[in-house]
Amino acid sequence: MNGVRLSRVSKRFGDVPVIDTLSLEIDSGEFVVFLGPSGCGKSTLLRMIAGLESLDEGEILVDGMRVDLLPPGARNVAMVFQQYALYPHMTVRENLVFGLRNARVAADEIERRIEAAAKRLEITELLGRRPGQLSGGQRQRAAIARAIVKKPALFLFDEPLSNLDAALRARTRIELAELHQQLGTTMIFVTHDQVEAMTLASRIVVMNSRRIEQIGTPMEIYRRPATRFVAGFVGTPRINLVPVQVHEADGMALATLPGGATIKTGVAFSSLPSEPNMTLGLRAEVVRIAESANRNAGGTARVVERLGDRTLVHVALPDGTLLTAEDRGNSTVQAGQSVGLNVDGSAAHFFAADGTGYHSEAR
Amino acid sequence: MSLAAVHKPPRTAIVLVTLAAVFMLAPMLWVLILSFKDNTALMADTGSAFLPPWTIANYRSIVGEGQVFTWLMNSVIVSLAMTAGVLMLSSLAAYGFARLEFPGRKLLFVIVLFGLAIPEQAVIIGRHQMFSAASLHNTYAALVLPGLSMPFGVFLMTQYFRAIPKEIDEAALLDGASRLRIFWRILLPLTIPAQATLGIFTFFHAWNDYWWPLISATNRDMVTLTVGIAATQVNFAQSEGLGFLMAQAVFAGVPTLLVYLVFQKYIVRAVAGAAGQ
Amino acid sequence: MAEGSGLRRAATWDRWSGALFVAPYCAFFVLMLVIPLGLGIHLAMTRGDLFGIDEFVGFDNFARLFADPVFLRTVWNTIYFVLLTVPAMTLTGLALALVLNHTSRWAAILRAIFFASTVLSVTVVALIWRLVLIPEGGLAGVVARAIGEQPIAFLSEQALAMPAVAVTTIWWGLGLPMVLFLAALQQIPRDLYEAAALDRASKMRMLFSITLPSIRRTIALVLVIEIILQFQLFGQAHLMTGGGPNNSTRPIVLFIYQTGWKQWQLGYAAAAAQVLFVMIALAAMAQYYITSRKDKA
Repeated sequence: MNGVRLSRVSKRFGDVPVIDTLSLEIDSGEFVVFLGPSGCGKSTLLRMIAGLESLDEGEILVDGMRVDLLPPGARNVAMVFQQYALYPHMTVRENLVFGLRNARVAADEIERRIEAAAKRLEITELLGRRPGQLSGGQRQRAAIARAIVKKPALFLFDEPLSNLDAALRARTRIELAELHQQLGTTMIFVTHDQVEAMTLASRIVVMNSRRIEQIGTPMEIYRRPATRFVAGFVGTPRINLVPVQVHEADGMALATLPGGATIKTGVAFSSLPSEPNMTLGLRAEVVRIAESANRNAGGTARVVERLGDRTLVHVALPDGTLLTAEDRGNSTVQAGQSVGLNVDGSAAHFFAADGTGYHSEAR
Repeated sequence: MSLAAVHKPPRTAIVLVTLAAVFMLAPMLWVLILSFKDNTALMADTGSAFLPPWTIANYRSIVGEGQVFTWLMNSVIVSLAMTAGVLMLSSLAAYGFARLEFPGRKLLFVIVLFGLAIPEQAVIIGRHQMFSAASLHNTYAALVLPGLSMPFGVFLMTQYFRAIPKEIDEAALLDGASRLRIFWRILLPLTIPAQATLGIFTFFHAWNDYWWPLISATNRDMVTLTVGIAATQVNFAQSEGLGFLMAQAVFAGVPTLLVYLVFQKYIVRAVAGAAGQ
Repeated sequence: MAEGSGLRRAATWDRWSGALFVAPYCAFFVLMLVIPLGLGIHLAMTRGDLFGIDEFVGFDNFARLFADPVFLRTVWNTIYFVLLTVPAMTLTGLALALVLNHTSRWAAILRAIFFASTVLSVTVVALIWRLVLIPEGGLAGVVARAIGEQPIAFLSEQALAMPAVAVTTIWWGLGLPMVLFLAALQQIPRDLYEAAALDRASKMRMLFSITLPSIRRTIALVLVIEIILQFQLFGQAHLMTGGGPNNSTRPIVLFIYQTGWKQWQLGYAAAAAQVLFVMIALAAMAQYYITSRKDKA
């Protein structure tokens, strides 16, 4: 098959398993993001694909070719590092040439590729300079150019945006998306930033503590988080997770919030495990500030954050539990005010004690 | 870090330091001046040093005595050879210790570090025996080879290699470079400051070495400048005259002083950086 | 299977290829350090001479050393010399570094002057100072006469010879501690001083409360380096006094040299060399231990 396949891949550091029998299939041309907090194993996995870390068990195939026993240079893979790793004592052009010369590419072909990559990344005037003379953003584009000229079957990105300032990061994200559209090559991107993952990925692999929590499209991850961890990791502001009591009502699960309010959800009661206490997941946008007529819960506003396009209101339920609710951009809610909430139960998620997520079928 | 003018030192300190500087310079200047005086005039009264006439007769004598140039050449050859050898061996070994994995690497490095603690005296007799057995005394090999085992070089270069981000190696690996290629074309050029430091340090160490050349190069033609100058001092009292001796001191000291003045910045950095490790 | 063994061979190559880089140096290390050290230790336990080493005498040489008044004198001389030079060099170096830690022109020139002597070889230094110390014509004599005093033959006076060698050595080596302290002083963060200034601390206070504690480790380092260096005193004594007058300036290394290459008692000399090795190691360790104890206090 084309694309990347990992088969029961394992790696240990001494006795500690770092990756444990992990299997994954990535189609050719996909943009897959490995997302997770630091230490979750995403970088290790990427480096194993690149050949910078060895496997203890399993196989890795790129475009049908088994690569896990090959040295990094022979895998037809290119990587963009977090700190760019450009050779400081060489000019940008020499940086680009180095790998191609090692691969014995013909001189005129080298020239052609450099010209094309430089034009695409707008660094043609920078080719004669050294990395030390470039800005962060320019260095990053040089690093990407170095990857492009190799014409690899697979691009690997190791948190390439984390060293850029916020404005540059947003711009570069868009450029990377365009690059993928133009080149069509399979790309694997590692990051801890869920916004990058959501905006760039065709599929996201969410990882935590060396395990895969969920694989899915950004929308699947967002709307049907497989575990409590995924729900909490993706989405700004962070999803509300409150302990609730669960009862049945017309075949559906009825959640009792701390403080007493009851919410009718769209989740079938029979699909839930028989635990008395579960966690309810409510994204802020489904907890809206409402007038008395529409409300099904209420509390006191503690902190109000005005973002311009919307307002986040942190509401304390009668028993003190905090919920993050949303209101219009020109909301008039003040801190200390008593407010009503309308909770859209059909968008609620349940999470069991082991973290497994349960959602309404309609989503 | 650049020098910081935290506060200007008190007047007395400046005066004392200046006096100390005079103490440092006086012997050198005195010897320099006296080297330009005729021997017999000096025998009579050294006070005449500061008055004309001056002469370069003493230097002519040195130059005329052909051996001095042989000694100078020996010093140059030995110092340069040892410097080149140490730089190469230390860099190769440092790359191995800093970047490559092989069984026993950590233990081996610790052993090399222990070598730092071994003073010259503990090994010099053994070395002398070995070279005697191999009939290698009075050769350039004898003068150069022992110095190549200097653990300090490996230590310094390993620290420096370790400081280079590993990602550079990894990028080169993905660029299809072999380990050797990475060493030669990528990492080595990045270690030039450390090479300068180590090179200068080794050069001076070799040039100024006294005991080993003394006992190994017993043949007058193989002797280095440092030892040769010492040998001619032996009969100090009945020697060829004060002026001549002064000229010898100047002649032997000037090369190192010149190198010092030219490379001053690097030398100071070398010393501070080296001991700081 | 062929592919399997090929992969296994590749794995072995990968495992050991790194060692190739280290091998050349290690060859010299073994050849020029380990073997000679072993030979030296072995030699120290034999009695022999130029015409053949033979008798294994165990620790006899060492026993003989410790009963040998000449050797014991050299041990004392060496310790005396270290006491004369190391504190003086360290303190002076520190004082100079404190005063010259400046970006001004004169500071740079002075720093260059103080370090210049360090690059000279021991033979040049010894020659210069012998010429300086000539009683009736040397610089010392000239200066003495100029201030109305009698010139002193330092190198011929038993009580003054060693101090004279010490002064020569201090003149020679003062630059090294200075440079090391300068480097350490430059590492002290400016904000410490700025905070102290806001606390209205006097210059003396800053010196003792901020500067000195911050360079504690460097002081220890300098002391260790200097002790190790000065324990190995050789050239100056050899060339300036030959060990005299009356053994008063003979250091251990000169003893080793003369025993080994003038009297050809290689075993005895080797034993003395090993004793020196142990002394240096002990002194350095003791000194390090003391200062790191103070560190933790």
